[in-house]
Amino acid sequence: MSLHTALVKIEEEKISSEKAKKFISSEKNGAESIFIGRVRNENSGKKVTAVTYDAHDQAVLKSFEMICSTAKIKFDNNAKIFLEHVKGYAPVGEISILIAVGSGHRDEAFKISRYILEEVKHQSPIWKKEHYVDGKEEWLPGHSLRPTKEIK
Amino acid sequence: MEIQLKLYGSSKILSDKDTLNIQLPNNSDIKKLRDILDKIISEKYSKSNLKSLPQTAAFFSERDEVINDSYKLRNKEFISIIPPIGGG
Repeated sequence: MSLHTALVKIEEEKISSEKAKKFISSEKNGAESIFIGRVRNENSGKKVTAVTYDAHDQAVLKSFEMICSTAKIKFDNNAKIFLEHVKGYAPVGEISILIAVGSGHRDEAFKISRYILEEVKHQSPIWKKEHYVDGKEEWLPGHSLRPTKEIK
Repeated sequence: MEIQLKLYGSSKILSDKDTLNIQLPNNSDIKKLRDILDKIISEKYSKSNLKSLPQTAAFFSERDEVINDSYKLRNKEFISIIPPIGGG
């Protein structure tokens, strides 16, 4: 098995970098790249306490499979890829996304990791609601999946 | 006719529940649904950040595929509204 993707419900479990490292481990790897995205305590001058991630589960999982399979075809068919994204209420410091790649060479490992991150942001139906120190909260703007030619 | 709209992201402001039942004329399409959402938002949520939602949202069918404006809705159909995304 060379591909693992999941949407992790934070109230049930947390994303584990140890699990990711174990999954991509192989004697064939000359390079292993691990990208960790975390909830940070500031955005656009506002003090953030947490982020709630909402997701269309089935479509997200379908998109993860597609993105990772495409990454393998584009960069390294033998790569081992681990991709998990959190869903639910994640306090500051929590891992929101983890992309781990095991590949023969560093260039492919970096490229696959970057490709997956950018495509998840543009293809996977996931939304963020930030919670602020003052008690307010706000859904963040994002990338429309509506065909551009249809938008007025 | 009536459809069930499953709410995600910022569209959850439209209801305390996960879905919103919307009444439409028979043979309505997605474009008509956008018009009705625009009316609902203008009347009830004009002070929110939802003003652009009817134009920027995509819609998924029950098969989780993007459907275009000419897609004809069926009575009792279950549709998902997909506001602009931004995970990571």
